[in-house]
Amino acid sequence: MSTPTVTGGVRRLPVPARPAHPRRRVVGGIVTAVVVAAHVVAWTSTEVSFGALVEGWEGMADFLSEAIPPDLSWEVLGPSLDGALVTLWIGLLGTTLSVPLSLVLALLAARGTAPSGWVYQGARSLLSFLRAVPDVVFALIFVTAVGLGPFPGVLAIVCHNVGVMGKLWAEALEDADPGPPQALRSAGAGRIQVAAHALLPTVTPQFVGLLLYRFDVNVRSSLVLGLVGAGGIGFLINQSIQLFQFDEMLTHILVVLVLIVAVDQLSALVRRRLAPTT
Amino acid sequence: MLALSGITVRFGDRQVLSGVDVTVAEGELLAVLGANGSGKSTLLRAAAGLVQVHGGGVTVDGRPRGPLDVALVFQQIHLVRRRSVLDNVCSGALGRLPLRSSLVPALFPRVVREEAMACLDRVGLADRAHDRAGSLSGGQQQRVAVARALCQRSRIVLADEPVSALDPSAAEQVLALLAELAHDERLAVLAVLHQPDLARRHADRIVGLADGRVVLDGAPATLGTGAVDALYPASSVPELEAVS
Repeated sequence: MSTPTVTGGVRRLPVPARPAHPRRRVVGGIVTAVVVAAHVVAWTSTEVSFGALVEGWEGMADFLSEAIPPDLSWEVLGPSLDGALVTLWIGLLGTTLSVPLSLVLALLAARGTAPSGWVYQGARSLLSFLRAVPDVVFALIFVTAVGLGPFPGVLAIVCHNVGVMGKLWAEALEDADPGPPQALRSAGAGRIQVAAHALLPTVTPQFVGLLLYRFDVNVRSSLVLGLVGAGGIGFLINQSIQLFQFDEMLTHILVVLVLIVAVDQLSALVRRRLAPTT
Repeated sequence: MLALSGITVRFGDRQVLSGVDVTVAEGELLAVLGANGSGKSTLLRAAAGLVQVHGGGVTVDGRPRGPLDVALVFQQIHLVRRRSVLDNVCSGALGRLPLRSSLVPALFPRVVREEAMACLDRVGLADRAHDRAGSLSGGQQQRVAVARALCQRSRIVLADEPVSALDPSAAEQVLALLAELAHDERLAVLAVLHQPDLARRHADRIVGLADGRVVLDGAPATLGTGAVDALYPASSVPELEAVS
């Protein structure tokens, strides 16, 4: 190690050379090559072509010129607002109705609250299955079962959301401070009592935060569900595209934009209020 | 009242406790001292049934220890910070309540609430019953945890470094409270401590552990300062004095 030099009253010490890590360099090179190769394959498999995009600009321009200005007449805006409200209600009910089942499955799928390894694995698998099936697929199934309209949308959201929220809640339970549960167990409390009096009150802020986040997401996905006939404003968007009424479509999209921003702001506001104060 | 006889605990190949005999009488505050790694926390966990014992046994009034016989007080306090102080104290009674009257705090029977209030009054915090547990100071929270232990109706309280996370005056208060409860309520209190001078001031008897064996047992007045200091490796003594 060299001795510090003093220039202008400030002590300086030369930085020693970084030790060489040849293995790390090789691994870095391999990782880079794999990532680049994956992108090349993805590029060709998805037929990305700037040429097609440039050639199609006229179609795009036609589309936009027909869509602008949006048709803001009451005959279009009225049903649009109604549809947006239905979409909101689908998202709300779909979220709320999935709470009981999410809670049960979360408790069964969290280490520490699961009664046995088998139940834990079973609950985890059920959650994975519900998560793996997209809500649009659930919607298509329920549309054939109970017919077109908002109801199959609610059912679809419930099914998919139980899978996602149950998993998120289970993770929150596993990350919770193990101290209070240990204290109650030592006082002779049973498994359900420990969950009710130590775990759940501790994770309530996280649970509510995740619930609001899922509400936000569910309102947006209930929009897509409308495209497959499960009611709401998505249904109107699909209809206006099929009838080439692009100005009406733009109106619907603007209403959707307002709805999404409003829900987003609301859930952000509530989550800020809920942030732990202690 | 509480008797640990010939307690032997091994973690893998390492013998942490080797045939330790300790008794705690009714109305007595026993302080267990020892350097880090001397086995004092393991002793407490063995008494509470939280570690597997490879030899010896724990009896309460001559019978094998039952699950509700001992109440625990923890170093990290372990209250549910978002629940009210009273709800936290009530949860000490969970072991004797059926599920239908304990699923949520609103279902706690009135007799349990009133008993919990009396426990809170005993630790001097009856006026904070409806405050959030998390809004109390560390010392107050530890007193609430003591009230929760009282609400469990155990005759034996085991405290694992109950004051290590507290400032000196709060530590003094909590230990004075534990001594008072031992004397007035005729409880048997075993407290693992890190502060020899606190133990000298408040405990009725001190047990010293070194390398998993009892090397010291007696009333504070009969034990010389040198005997207690000898529990700690020389280099750690000044540090401990600075803390306490």
